[in-house]
Formats: sequence, structure tokens, C-alpha cells
Amino acid sequence: MRRFASDRDFRAGFAAMLPVVIGIVPFGLVCGVGAAAAGASALGALGLSAIVFSGAAQILAVQLLAAGSPLAVIVLTCFVAGLRFLIYSAAMAPHLRPLPTRWQKGLAFLLTDQAFAASVRRFDAGGDPRGGGLFFLGGGFALWSSWQVTNIAGYFVGNLIPAAWSLDFAVPLCFIALVAPHFRTYPTITAALVSGFAVIAFAGLPMKLNLIVAGLIGIVAGTLADFTRDRWMPR
Amino acid sequence: MDATLKLWAVILIVGALNYLSRLSFIALFAHRQVPPLLGRAFRYVPAAMLTALIVPMVVTLPVAAVGPALPKIAAALLAGVVAFVTHSQVKTLGVGMVTLWVLQALAHRFG
Repeated sequence: MRRFASDRDFRAGFAAMLPVVIGIVPFGLVCGVGAAAAGASALGALGLSAIVFSGAAQILAVQLLAAGSPLAVIVLTCFVAGLRFLIYSAAMAPHLRPLPTRWQKGLAFLLTDQAFAASVRRFDAGGDPRGGGLFFLGGGFALWSSWQVTNIAGYFVGNLIPAAWSLDFAVPLCFIALVAPHFRTYPTITAALVSGFAVIAFAGLPMKLNLIVAGLIGIVAGTLADFTRDRWMPR
Repeated sequence: MDATLKLWAVILIVGALNYLSRLSFIALFAHRQVPPLLGRAFRYVPAAMLTALIVPMVVTLPVAAVGPALPKIAAALLAGVVAFVTHSQVKTLGVGMVTLWVLQALAHRFG
């Protein structure tokens, strides 16, 4: 890391991520609390945050583990919830293509909702690909390291946070901050609305399977809406 | 299955699958054309999946009574407007949390 620490683009990426880092502090704490509540060891909690490195997957995993769900269901649910990484991957791919394979493989690990949102703007602004890669690395490093600190803090001292603060609510707020800015097109809004109603309608399904069902129905609804838009509102 | 073993199985399998999803178009299918239908469906994955994650955290499921969830629903809607307008995660978080605290205090006082 030392050879990057003095790089201008790396530092710019790191600095650009600091407001986002502040925003994910409560989320990281909640993940740490969840890991402790599920009976994970400190090493297990760190393994989750360091290797899985996805708040949504971690929360689902610890909740399903605590509920005693089978391994296959936990894996499937976390995988489907992580399908959005395919989109981020596809959107980042053209920007990372000029970089060496080694870099692509390393940067892919740091691809998160937040890193994607911050870096796509930087890449779209142009500049050399290496600078963009270092910017992404700086931001990803800021997120990953602060994610470990907040998760571990949540694991050890999260239970000291008063329940009246409703810290859990920071988690949906983080996702709202990610998704709401995209509610600009009719198919996107359709996908979200249908998915939101479906997740309630299928709440009776065991082991949070309503998440997968609702997500898939929402994707189909958004795609269908996209086709009807083509049909009725020719561009 | 032993709890520790199961936790590490989750960490390694989910970690590997998440990494493969992240790597997918950057390296694995970098030179492959995405079928048009799939490409179209892909666009709606984040909106559908994130909403499916958000809703159960705001409206406690299964829905027994709407009353107790009202402060969270109102705070989430206001936070959504803030996110839509400002694109700021910190402002969204701040407005959402403060709104929830105020509404919960009011509900506690007058509810």
C-alpha cells in the first residue's frame, strides 16, 4: 500500500470516499452487532466483513444463520441479493479494460454499491485509465478498511448502543440513498414498486425466500415495462 | 452441522460467489456479448433487489398492524426524497434518522 499512498489519484479516490465512509459507519456497526448476535466468533465476524465485504449479504447471512436456515438457502439468498454486482461489473468493465488483468482482478474485489456509485462518475469524467484505476483503488481501500473497523467495533461494543437510537434503521437508509436517485424512468420505478409489493405479499415464505421471489418478479416487471415503453413511447 | 464450520462455509462460498459476480463482466465474460434480453433485464436488478431488501426493514413483516411502522415508513419516504434530490448518502442518513427519532418521540408522547 505504501507505494500507492503518495499517488495523487489514489489519494483523490481515498478522499472522495470519506463522506461515504461516514455514511456507512452505522451500517458497519449494525453488521458487527448482527454477527455477535448470531454467535459468530470475533474471527468469524472479521471473516464475514473482510471476505464477503457486502453489508447486504452479511446482514442476510447472520440473520439466516441465527434462524438456523440450511447452508444452501443462505448461499442462494446472499447470491441473489448480490446479483446487482453483475450490473456494476458490466458498467465498470469498459473503464477497467485497458488495465492489466492483475489490476482487474484486484479492483473487482473492491466493487461495492458505494465504490461503484463514486467511481463511475470519475471514470465518466475521462482521464487516463491508470489514474481511474488508482482512484478506484484509493476509494475501495478507504471503504474496505473502514468497513473492518466499524464491523469489529459493532461486534465488541455495538450492544452498548441504546435500542432507542434505532441504529438498525441506518441500513435501509443506506440502500435508499443508493436506489432513490435512479427512480427517474418508468421501468425502474415499476421494477421497484412491484418488488416492494411482492416482498410483502410473499412475506409468508420461510427463510426470507420472499426476497429472492420479489427481486426476480421485480426484474421481470421492469423488463416488461421497458418493452411496453418501446412499444407505446417510441424514442 | 457445527456452527463454526457452517459460518466459515458461508463466508467462503458467499465470498467466492460475490467475488465472481463482481469479476463477471470485468474479466470472465469481458469479450462476450450479453444477449439483448438479458442486458435489458440486468438494468432493473439493482432497483428490484435493493427495494426487496429495503421494504422488510421498514415495514416489519409479516404485516400485523401498520400503526407502529408509521414513523419508519414516513422517515423512509422523506429520506427517499432527500436521496433523489441531493444524491447525498450523509444527508439521506441524517434526515432519515432525525425524522425517525422525532416521530418516535411524538408517538411515544401522544400514542
